[in-house]
Amino acid sequence: MIEIKNVSKSYVKGKKSVDDLNLEIKNGEIFGFLGPNGAGKTTTIRMITGILNIDEGDILIDGKSIKREPLEAKKNFGFVPDSPDMFLKLKGIEYLMFMADVYDVPQDKRKDKIEELTKKFEIYNDLNNQIQSYSHGMRQKIVICGALLAEPKNWILDEPMTGLDPKSSYDLKEMMRQHARAGKTVFFSTHILEVAEKLCDRVGIINNGKLVFVGTFDEMKQKFKENASLEDLFLEITEK
Amino acid sequence: MKKVIKLTKIFLKNSFSNMDAQMGVSTKSKSKFLLYGLLFLYFAGLIIFLSYNLLDGLIQIQQEEIFIGMILFMILGLAIVQTIFSSINILYFTKDSEYLLPLPLKPYQIILARTNVMLISEYLIIFLVGCIPLIMYGILTGAGIVYYIIMLLAVILVPILPVLLISIIVMGIMSFAKLTKNRNKFQLLATALLLVIVIALSISTSSMQDDLTNEEMAQMLVEANGTIEMIKGYIPTVDYLIEALTTNNLVTTVIEVLKTIVITAISFVVYMLIAQQIYFKGLVGNLFGGGTARTKKGIKQKEYKNSKLYKSYVGKEFKVLARNPVFLMQCLIPAILIPIIMVVITYAGLNSDGMGLEQINQMVGQMTINTFMIACIILGVIQFFTMFIYIAITAVSRDGENAVFMKYIPVPLYKQYIYKIVPNIIMYMVSIIITLGIAEYILHLPIVTLIALFVVATIIGVLQSIVMIIIDLKRPKLNWDSEYAVAKQNLNLIFPMLFSMLNIGIMIGAVALLKNINMYLGLGIVGVLYIVATVVINKYLYNNQNKLADNII
Repeated sequence: MIEIKNVSKSYVKGKKSVDDLNLEIKNGEIFGFLGPNGAGKTTTIRMITGILNIDEGDILIDGKSIKREPLEAKKNFGFVPDSPDMFLKLKGIEYLMFMADVYDVPQDKRKDKIEELTKKFEIYNDLNNQIQSYSHGMRQKIVICGALLAEPKNWILDEPMTGLDPKSSYDLKEMMRQHARAGKTVFFSTHILEVAEKLCDRVGIINNGKLVFVGTFDEMKQKFKENASLEDLFLEITEK
Repeated sequence: MKKVIKLTKIFLKNSFSNMDAQMGVSTKSKSKFLLYGLLFLYFAGLIIFLSYNLLDGLIQIQQEEIFIGMILFMILGLAIVQTIFSSINILYFTKDSEYLLPLPLKPYQIILARTNVMLISEYLIIFLVGCIPLIMYGILTGAGIVYYIIMLLAVILVPILPVLLISIIVMGIMSFAKLTKNRNKFQLLATALLLVIVIALSISTSSMQDDLTNEEMAQMLVEANGTIEMIKGYIPTVDYLIEALTTNNLVTTVIEVLKTIVITAISFVVYMLIAQQIYFKGLVGNLFGGGTARTKKGIKQKEYKNSKLYKSYVGKEFKVLARNPVFLMQCLIPAILIPIIMVVITYAGLNSDGMGLEQINQMVGQMTINTFMIACIILGVIQFFTMFIYIAITAVSRDGENAVFMKYIPVPLYKQYIYKIVPNIIMYMVSIIITLGIAEYILHLPIVTLIALFVVATIIGVLQSIVMIIIDLKRPKLNWDSEYAVAKQNLNLIFPMLFSMLNIGIMIGAVALLKNINMYLGLGIVGVLYIVATVVINKYLYNNQNKLADNII
């Protein structure tokens, strides 16, 4: 479970990039975080993951504060950043083993987990190559494998579908559903509205640092125009 | 030509683009410029101090002209070392090459612009290190305006030939790039091959042997004299310029300068002709050729073995350093190569002045210097050799935008900082061992002295590593397109040099303050001072571990 409580962040004095954000992503939920460019999505994700300090408020990951107990909180999530160009000079297997060492994945689980994930994403046969030789999509897959290796309860994914081929995209969405069905949490940002519509239990829309909508798509339609497309709704909410 | 100038500007701007940000031009610029001004003054002051003492001694024995040769050969040495480390990166491993090829540019324009970048990057340091001592020479010998004009020409002209020569060797090696199936391995192989060629050129026909007697060593040095002859053979312009700067005859000066200009100009034309034939073969091969080799499928059981986090983390740092040709050349190799190259060049230089190992031993024996002074000189030499170890000063910047990784993994930041500087400490120790090995070979120091020196130098190495990662954390260079921008064209790289210069100053101060002290006691005092400094600075790193990471976003 991820709890965001009264969180604010400013880069420039007097201008809040994220303004008094309150959100609760419950266990068993897939939550989509939407918003136009520069709305505050990445800033929020960076605060959740401890990359950015929080000016006001707090964020709890399974009850652990990212401010006060950062190491404990960080153990409770797996994060996929928006850029998959990580440690390009390492071989795929070296990267995964490094991540396994960082997250203390038990010796007896490593082999099975790595094989399961990399075979699912069809990169098992490339694990002996340096990540540098991978395509963008393959890099995205290896980073996802690295984040999921320790079986974290909370998944935080920044634009995870970017660069994935249709099958991998489908597989990842399936994995997200399975993860949520197991009572765990998925929080992801996306620009692809169709993905959000089909996959998410709830969505949050942020604009100019403020959360302008939280709820299901049905609730969104009820609140705004009943017969409008998702795209129209999104534009209406964010261009107000 | 306009396009060449524009292209050169763009390459330079691209490389140095973050420097304004690093210098903090917008905020607190006055105090920062003051700081840089003071640092420059300290650095320049140290060069003036060393030059003055050396020149003063030489003038007393009426051998001041040797000084000109020494400085010009030092510029030559610096140009060779810098070109070895930068040419392959500037010519082949910069990402912008991929965007350049489709543009309507003529091959010679790209080659000229790349060569300009190499030269301009070298002039930055060569002007500082070369001009100040040569100006000192002019002042102390009461030279006229002609001397200063020729001096400026010499500093500009000397680095050109080594840059052209080494670039052509690099292009020759890299033109095979398109034939290779595994580009990464080839890049490393090419780097290694270049180093071997240059070391072979330096050592010439001499081969290092164990258990050499002094006579044999002297004989070896006579043979090594071939190195200087060989360098003169390839780079004859240095000799002409020495003549031009030391003669009192204006006609001779003009002739020698003209000879230098003509040879440099002809070399440039030949270089351009050859480069146009071979440069693009290698560039295209390096960018697009071959692809990756077929690798084994499946993972062996042992590859799943877990290891302790520190081993895994430090191993990751070493892999990233060793597998990236730019980082390998700029961060890892200098620790080993610079002591060797510097010693070979110094040997060759001394030998060309008629000095062999026995003479050096005799000279040291005759000098009225105590053992503490010798120990401090050795520590100073170690500082000189380690000023180009850039592992800690780029520890965070090397990760680029992915440095944020450090902040979201469940590992304390302090631990990660320490893991990141371990390679710096290890390579620093390698450099110390090589330098002490050479010192032992020349001066036959007792083992206890060597151990004491090793311990003190290692403490300085630990302090250097911690200070450098703090500087990198405070002024990280995370937005870069080419690794070269981090490992070479990065303003932070001046700090290891300044740190070494500061330590050389401390050594000079220690010798002045503790004149007749027992060597071990003296080293003990110096060691304790550095331990205290290390503990204090480490405490700062620990206490501010989170705040220091604020710039990693």
